[in-house]
Amino acid sequence: MFGLPLTFAAPAILFGLVALPVIWWLLRLTPPKPKTEIFPPLRLLAKVIKHEETPARSPWWLTLLRLLMATLVILALARPVLNPTADITGGEGPLALLIDNGWSTGADWDERIAMATQLVEKAGDAGRPVALAYTVAPGNADVTLTNAADLLPALAAATPLAAKPDRTAAVARLAAALEDAQQGATIAWLSDGLSTENDEETVASIDALEPTEVLVFDGGIDGLRAIRGIDNTPTSFDVHVQAPDGLAAGTDPVSVSAFDEKGRLLAENAALFADGSAETVVRFDVPFELRNDFATLRLSGQQQSGGVWLVDENARRRRVGLITGQAGDLDQPLLSPLFYIQRALQPYADLVEAETGDLAVDVPALIEQGPAMIVMADIGVLPEAASRSLVQWVDEGGTLVRFAGPRLAATAGDDTLLPVDLRIGERSLGGSLSWTEPQPVAPFPPGGPFGGLDAPREVSVNRQVLAEPDLDLVSRTWANLADGTPLVTGTSRGKGTIVLFHVTAEATWSNLPISGSFVEMLRRIANLSRNTGTVQTGNSGVQGEALPPYRILGADGELTAPPAHVRPLDAEAAAAAASYEHPAGLYGTADGFVARNVLSEDDTLVPLGTPEFQATTASFGYAMGEESDLRGSLFLIALALLALDTLAVLWINGRLPFSGKGRIGARQAAPAAVALALIAVAVTFAGPALAQDNGPPAGDERPGDAEIIDILETTRIGYILTGNPQTDEITEAGLSGLTRFLQSRTALEPAPPVGLDLETDELAFYALIYYPLDTTAEMPSEAAISRLDAFMQGGGTVLFDTRDQLTASFSGAAASPENQRLRDILRGLNIPPLEPVPPDHVLTKAFYILDRFPGRYDGSPLWVEAPTTQEALEGRPVRSGDGVSPIMITGNDFAGAWALDESGRPIYPTMSADPLQRIYAFRAGVNIMMYMLTGNYKADQVHVPALLERLGQ
Amino acid sequence: MATVGTRHTPEDRSDALARARLRAALVPDLLIEARRIVSTVIAGWHGRRKRGIGETFWQFRPYVAGETLAKIDWRRSARDDHTYVRDMEWEAAHTVWLWADPSPSMLFKSRSATVSKESRALVLTLALAELLSRSGERIGYPGLLKPVAARNGAERLAMALASSHAMALPDRPQLDMVQRHSDVVLVSDFLDPPEETLAFLDSIAKRGTRMHLLEVADPAEEVFPYAGRTEFEDPETGVRLTAGRAENWGEAYKTIYHARREALRDYCRKLDWSYAVNRTDRLASEALVALHGRLTGQPSTVPARGAA
Repeated sequence: MFGLPLTFAAPAILFGLVALPVIWWLLRLTPPKPKTEIFPPLRLLAKVIKHEETPARSPWWLTLLRLLMATLVILALARPVLNPTADITGGEGPLALLIDNGWSTGADWDERIAMATQLVEKAGDAGRPVALAYTVAPGNADVTLTNAADLLPALAAATPLAAKPDRTAAVARLAAALEDAQQGATIAWLSDGLSTENDEETVASIDALEPTEVLVFDGGIDGLRAIRGIDNTPTSFDVHVQAPDGLAAGTDPVSVSAFDEKGRLLAENAALFADGSAETVVRFDVPFELRNDFATLRLSGQQQSGGVWLVDENARRRRVGLITGQAGDLDQPLLSPLFYIQRALQPYADLVEAETGDLAVDVPALIEQGPAMIVMADIGVLPEAASRSLVQWVDEGGTLVRFAGPRLAATAGDDTLLPVDLRIGERSLGGSLSWTEPQPVAPFPPGGPFGGLDAPREVSVNRQVLAEPDLDLVSRTWANLADGTPLVTGTSRGKGTIVLFHVTAEATWSNLPISGSFVEMLRRIANLSRNTGTVQTGNSGVQGEALPPYRILGADGELTAPPAHVRPLDAEAAAAAASYEHPAGLYGTADGFVARNVLSEDDTLVPLGTPEFQATTASFGYAMGEESDLRGSLFLIALALLALDTLAVLWINGRLPFSGKGRIGARQAAPAAVALALIAVAVTFAGPALAQDNGPPAGDERPGDAEIIDILETTRIGYILTGNPQTDEITEAGLSGLTRFLQSRTALEPAPPVGLDLETDELAFYALIYYPLDTTAEMPSEAAISRLDAFMQGGGTVLFDTRDQLTASFSGAAASPENQRLRDILRGLNIPPLEPVPPDHVLTKAFYILDRFPGRYDGSPLWVEAPTTQEALEGRPVRSGDGVSPIMITGNDFAGAWALDESGRPIYPTMSADPLQRIYAFRAGVNIMMYMLTGNYKADQVHVPALLERLGQ
Repeated sequence: MATVGTRHTPEDRSDALARARLRAALVPDLLIEARRIVSTVIAGWHGRRKRGIGETFWQFRPYVAGETLAKIDWRRSARDDHTYVRDMEWEAAHTVWLWADPSPSMLFKSRSATVSKESRALVLTLALAELLSRSGERIGYPGLLKPVAARNGAERLAMALASSHAMALPDRPQLDMVQRHSDVVLVSDFLDPPEETLAFLDSIAKRGTRMHLLEVADPAEEVFPYAGRTEFEDPETGVRLTAGRAENWGEAYKTIYHARREALRDYCRKLDWSYAVNRTDRLASEALVALHGRLTGQPSTVPARGAA
């Protein structure tokens, strides 16, 4: 009932639910008693209230509450029973149990057996004989009607198997057992919930038993997921996962884990089911070396054998080296003899091609990469070194595949890397000078490596190389032409194999390379090969013979030692579905095995649904809950709702003491309270999810960001605070003056200058830092000088102003104290070679054309970085040299000249009476600032007239 | 649960007088603006500084032939040979008609109000009477008290209101006796549809009287604090009206309620009448001061909160 294990003992009463709309109508009609209010402006109100609302309606939530109450009462009267158990005590005839113990039952086998045990025990109590048939059972299983008590031990010992159930056979066995029964039997089908293609047949044969009652147990397969196949593509390892048909959208993603042979987790990935699709692909994008270590794939959360996929050597990707003797082949890929081989092997193998065309280089290089197989197309003579390394590689287990061709035919006699001795020259079939016809391919020898493949009938061979007749020739022949001459020969050499195709790899000698069989043949050979670079368990020689069971997959998805009933796997059984005698598992030996899985590529999971039997049918689940009568609890809930309803009515009519103050809006408050309760419930469930969201706060904001942004928003000139208030004041005033000058004359509008403490403040935000030297201030610490150095190395510029031009010029050659201080500071810095600003420097042209850079004093040169290269100095109006000088030194006291008071008048006189000197000082400042911000842009601009002239403009 | 508003018993009128006195004490002496003094000569306390009909002596003047002999002041004439006439100062008393709405709708008091509307209206009327009498104005009550100038005018009015005669007064004031240039103070809730009220006021406006409308409003009428299923009852007609969700009508009701008030206010403004509102949860003196200001021709300096 609604997916719940719920039945009604008196379902007829449920028709009472039909009356609900009537109740609803009645409830809507009966209004709660209005409260009477004296209201003098009634005549005004009467204009507003258009019509009298009679009958008024109850609030919707009250109606809902009452309807819910009515529904509950009706449901309770119908005597609902939770977890109903099948009642089989009433019947007379025998009880026949049909138990699905296929691959999907491993997860909840205990529940199934408990249910079966319960049924058998009840039947025993009622004195009914019991027959028990499993759907995965040996073909000769004996099913008889026996005493219930005798069956219980066998029931407890039953196990599910990783095989597909055969229900028809099981029903047939039941039919045999029930033949002698006097009365109609009760059939209890403990199904696995999966539909198979012969369900109709099963149902028909059950009907043929003429049972009195059929009990179908179905646990549902909503949660069932199974791996349907794998695909080891060139780029990824794809796992195809199947879910039941009709999967609801938005189901959980499936997660697949890959384990190696020792059970170590190698990779894990998940995929979602697209809407409406019952299958999805979980893709592992891992290197193929790692992919080749995959031994078991498991669906997480699936404790059954369908959720496990065993991988054997056949599914692994091999590395195949391709060699052609002609370097020219590499240049014309479509004409290359390797073209068809590449196309044939691409989907299954990892191809490595020779790169140079020089065999002495290519062969060792290929072998270096540890390929499983090397394909050589028409190579006659191998260089000695290449031959030696190939022989050694084959001895160690490599598979060498060679194709014939004119070159091989010419030199076949002394080639050691051939499976058979060849005659010199090739044999031509057909043609004007021959009686022979082009030969088709004979069916492949069944015991050989190509056994089981269909021989290509459309292939005809025009030319071939012929093997010397030999005693061993027949045993080494893998494929023949119709006339008995070998087409493919192969032999083992050391641990490896050498295979020769007696035709070319391209379609000149035969059309074999363009047939589909070519792909199959190459793939077979590739499967026989083994990667030499990694340690692998090989599986050579496992074809064509019956393989003993090595490990068997239990229905719970675990590999176990094979039980006694498992038979060796021969070719016929390998083609059939997994069965009792050949369940899924690994067959072979520890060294080489093939994997057998439950599902195949085209299997789907279809729910069983409700089979339609002629007899009365009842459906049950497996959930083992106590049977409980829900009447009491439903009545209790209805009673609680009644109390709630009473309270609500009292509240509406204002009889509740606490509703006095909150009279206004009480109507809104009630639905709000309901909504609040719902939200509270939702939050309780969503709580864990919400809690997970409390991760680190979004964004990457840090404290102090606002200040940094503030500094960076507009350009600012920085200056070093010397600690001497007087100097700092001059500097501040000077730079403010320059800022004002810049604002009035240029497009640059800097913000007020910023004083910087060299020891602590971040310097990186400024393009130019003005450093007035003051001998009264303390010498900056080493760390501070190192910060200054980092600033200059990072692209900033420091303008040192010794402000000593006046005193220095009097003191002659001896260094002034400021100069000495400057030297002390510069000692800790990486200072490039310096020069006074040359007449062609950008600084002289950055904004104004200047020839000198005066401050308060005039005469001190402005020192800048000297260019390290002397290239192209002549003939250019300006030096281009990249990079801005990281250092400038002057003694002219710029700041003093720039310093202005509030009204814009200069604070300090210049040392010359010439008023132009201050103008020049400002212009020098503008040029320096422009030079800072535009770099060498101006140097390039200088060329524009010359360029325009050259363009003829 | 208690209802928002209750029907109130009619106020004890003598008690109302005491409270009115209390209110009136808060207001300075009321001197009616004598802008439009009636030419119908009735002596009052407003001296006109010129000869005329009055009670106060103004001047003696020689008798002019043709005047009534009765005007001769014989006592003065006896002092010499001339005949004198005693002139009086022209005094004009103002008549103010007071009226408080006696309709049942006034007997309403909501929870948030301190008194019923009727009580407030009576108190205001009597307080005005007290103020006006104190300043010598003549007060009248249509249908109950003819205009009288007396120091105890308020007591007289209270007596008249307490009499059984007052209980039989019609819902609308009988303003037939009102003459031009009188002031009429109507204290009511003006809850009739505005068109009816306006029609009534129009009929008065023709007489040339000056009206002062004082609306006494209960806060419940203004705020409309009703919600849920409510049955409204008209205290005058007993008509019942049920609103399923009263809160839904609140906005529309408030709009129409205030529209009514604005219509009356506009009408009064047009005629230079005054219109004031007093809510019963506010002080009566607020309204009294406002009305006082209007009667004296000076609008209240404070834009009165309660009287707005």
